[in-house]
Amino acid sequence: MAGQLIQVATETVTSAVASVTLTGIDSDDVYMLAVSGIVSSASINGDLRVTTSGTADTSANYDYAMKGLRNDGGAFTNFSNTNQTTFTTAFAWSLFTTAGMTGNGIAYLYNFNNASEYSFISHEGVNSWQNGILGMQGGGVHTVAQACDGIQFSPSSGTISSGTFTLYKVV
Amino acid sequence: MADDLKYGYKGAEPTQSFGNNTGVFDPNDINNLIADNKWTSFGQLELIETQTISSGSTLDFTDLGSYNVLFATGNNIETASSNTPVSIRVSNDGGSTFKANNYRYALQSGTTSGSFNEARSTSTTSMPYFTSDSPNKNRGAYCYMYNLQDSARYSFFTHQSIEEANMMFGSAVYAVAETINAIRFLTTNSNAWTGTISLYGIRYS
Repeated sequence: MAGQLIQVATETVTSAVASVTLTGIDSDDVYMLAVSGIVSSASINGDLRVTTSGTADTSANYDYAMKGLRNDGGAFTNFSNTNQTTFTTAFAWSLFTTAGMTGNGIAYLYNFNNASEYSFISHEGVNSWQNGILGMQGGGVHTVAQACDGIQFSPSSGTISSGTFTLYKVV
Repeated sequence: MADDLKYGYKGAEPTQSFGNNTGVFDPNDINNLIADNKWTSFGQLELIETQTISSGSTLDFTDLGSYNVLFATGNNIETASSNTPVSIRVSNDGGSTFKANNYRYALQSGTTSGSFNEARSTSTTSMPYFTSDSPNKNRGAYCYMYNLQDSARYSFFTHQSIEEANMMFGSAVYAVAETINAIRFLTTNSNAWTGTISLYGIRYS
């Protein structure tokens, strides 16, 4: 039956961890990552990396472009860079640690299983910041033609103490 | 005796997890494993309800199921009046009343003629732009909603919409940590609108 999500992996964080890795990408389908309730130990950005054999690829091959939305009167921010070691600022952008404030978002993963193509990601997210919100909408590419079996989320510093991360296959 | 058995095993019982269920299961076992997120069941974009509005200005969903992440689609949405976006409000009393403050948002819009704009508010009366607001323009939209049923967390939204010549994407929050158990799609100026809204839960999210 077309039009379904099939859960591939999930992790619910209940104590401090430095990263969350979800694997199980083993087909050429599009995959979806759902994230909710990220609570961090410090003001952080969220970083995403592809994994190969379950290990995050930290090579400097991540290119991205993203629009940062804010409601506090400041101009929206364009994020872009090439040859970085992570897709930065996904699901969490200067996430505060105040109670109730969490990082949340959805990402779609393309070509991860295809060893002949680059891996692509599109994402949208939102978190609280001071008395406002910060939104993230963007995309990126990992410019290595290799088969990737998963995705890793990590805070730009410190740890996260809460959050639910679930990887789905879209069929 | 059967009562000594768990999943058909006597003594040590197998560990159960999604994608790795072992044994013989009775209906109670299955229900308990579903509740514990340990039962293998595909098709996890679960339709909660589809409603069509053909008159009036509000469309309420009072059954949100039990999900960390909800997903709503809007299709074939139109209004005859100008300045009439379809917005979202939340309820903490099952839909008896809907909250009209403590919303914040930021969004980017763009038109096919090349005009791009930023919009934002630090305090407004709804999640204001599930769809854009041009009269007599057909629109489509989707919105993800996060943490609505978590009493300790704010309720967050990310969304995107398109009408004939206008795209929009953005983020919003209902900045009160409380349990939300109903949502309303509405025009805050009470102008009539038509269209179809489907609400889904993302199981195990």
